[in-house]
Amino acid sequence: MQSPVKIWRNQKNIAQLLGKTGTIVSWTLIRVPPGDFMDQAPYPVVLAELEDGKRIEAQLVDWKDTHLAFGTKVKTVIRCVMRPDADGVIPYGIKVKPI
Amino acid sequence: MHIYVTGAATTKFGELWSASPRGLARQAVFGALKDAGLEAKRVQALFVGNMLSGMLGGQEHLGAFFAEELGLTVPAFKIEGACASGGLAVHNAVNSLLSGQYETVVVLGIEKMTDHKPEDVATALMGAGSEDERLAGATFPGLYAMIARAHMQQFGTTEEDMAAVAVKNHYHATLNPNAQFHAEITVEAVMKSSKIADPLKLLDCSPISDGAAAIVLSTKRSPHSVEVAASVVATDTLGLAQRKSLTQLAATKQAAQKAYTLAGILPEDVDASEVHDCFTIAEILAAEDLGFFAKGNAAAAIRKGKTTLGTSTGVVLNPSGGLKGCGHPVGATGVKQIAELVEQLRGNAGKRQVHDARVGLAHNVGGSGATAVIHILKT
Repeated sequence: MQSPVKIWRNQKNIAQLLGKTGTIVSWTLIRVPPGDFMDQAPYPVVLAELEDGKRIEAQLVDWKDTHLAFGTKVKTVIRCVMRPDADGVIPYGIKVKPI
Repeated sequence: MHIYVTGAATTKFGELWSASPRGLARQAVFGALKDAGLEAKRVQALFVGNMLSGMLGGQEHLGAFFAEELGLTVPAFKIEGACASGGLAVHNAVNSLLSGQYETVVVLGIEKMTDHKPEDVATALMGAGSEDERLAGATFPGLYAMIARAHMQQFGTTEEDMAAVAVKNHYHATLNPNAQFHAEITVEAVMKSSKIADPLKLLDCSPISDGAAAIVLSTKRSPHSVEVAASVVATDTLGLAQRKSLTQLAATKQAAQKAYTLAGILPEDVDASEVHDCFTIAEILAAEDLGFFAKGNAAAAIRKGKTTLGTSTGVVLNPSGGLKGCGHPVGATGVKQIAELVEQLRGNAGKRQVHDARVGLAHNVGGSGATAVIHILKT
């Protein structure tokens, strides 16, 4: 369930993760998505290790099949992460794209 | 003090559109009471293992809900721990007996999932993951797919190895009248099934299921009772990103080590084990993390039939058919595992009887490994 208050509170943390680079340590291709992601499937979700050692799970965007591999370099970007619900607040968040 | 399972019952698992949660609960609980030879008025507390009644059914307050339905005006609790809700409910029930508060209690594990659309069930199940995983659009098949990918990279595990787990568990399920599936499958069929979250395919995944299971726990031994020799819970990070290793579940290892010590046994003493094969890769991880095989060796052993009824060389894994073959109504699974082991240790398991089973181990996992519950049962 999306909440405008929760989106507002969590969006303050997005900036800390922006513009970081890292490498893919595992990945999958989601073909049966949760309801709010239906219009994006199929899409890859990757586990990426950032330069500072922190690991994040994020959707991979602007990708080709060859990017789905161990060690692919990625960077964090801001995107609308899922379809907004009836309240209409756009849920922005972090995704990663190949460098 | 010793704790005993004195009665157990499981409903049919499957797509039960004509069955209500109330009906499933009555069938499981009254079945377990009959098996124990116990009148309902002797029950002193009810523990309900369930995950999704609120998110899918809009019904919370399940302790009172089922106490009313069963005609039990006793203390009643809903215990939630994602897909480990059933095992956690059993653990809490055991603790309530050890505390001296009660002498006889009932544990009901129950879930009704097939009333709802797959996308809604997938969304609800992601309640077991982390917020970051939900925002990434991950699903549980997706999380286990990333575990599988790492295991394949590190140990050379193949998609065919994973498929062999589903083949074995479907075979076992053909011997279990209550199982959701009664059709044997082949490695080729698994490999050709539709992709869900690469490299996991439809037949690598446990199904969406309805069902219930119940057990009666007591501080007193009875003629057909089975002893609970250990009941242990461990936890780990909610999300995969914070884990040191993707190729083991630390909570499983930690809980298992403590459980073996409490029960005074070694992994090789276990005759039958119900492990949490929500996805085929999960059974491979479990077989290693529980100490049945060295890390990296379980996949080949399972594929060679070393854990299959009739050809096993040690422990038989998932004689019930496991989550894959028997079905996975998430809150019911942890209780069903124990009900299955009770039948095995009594020698009442019919065609799927593990020869001379004396020690059983139930392994129930919540989320992608954030909760692990281990129960060891002895004759």
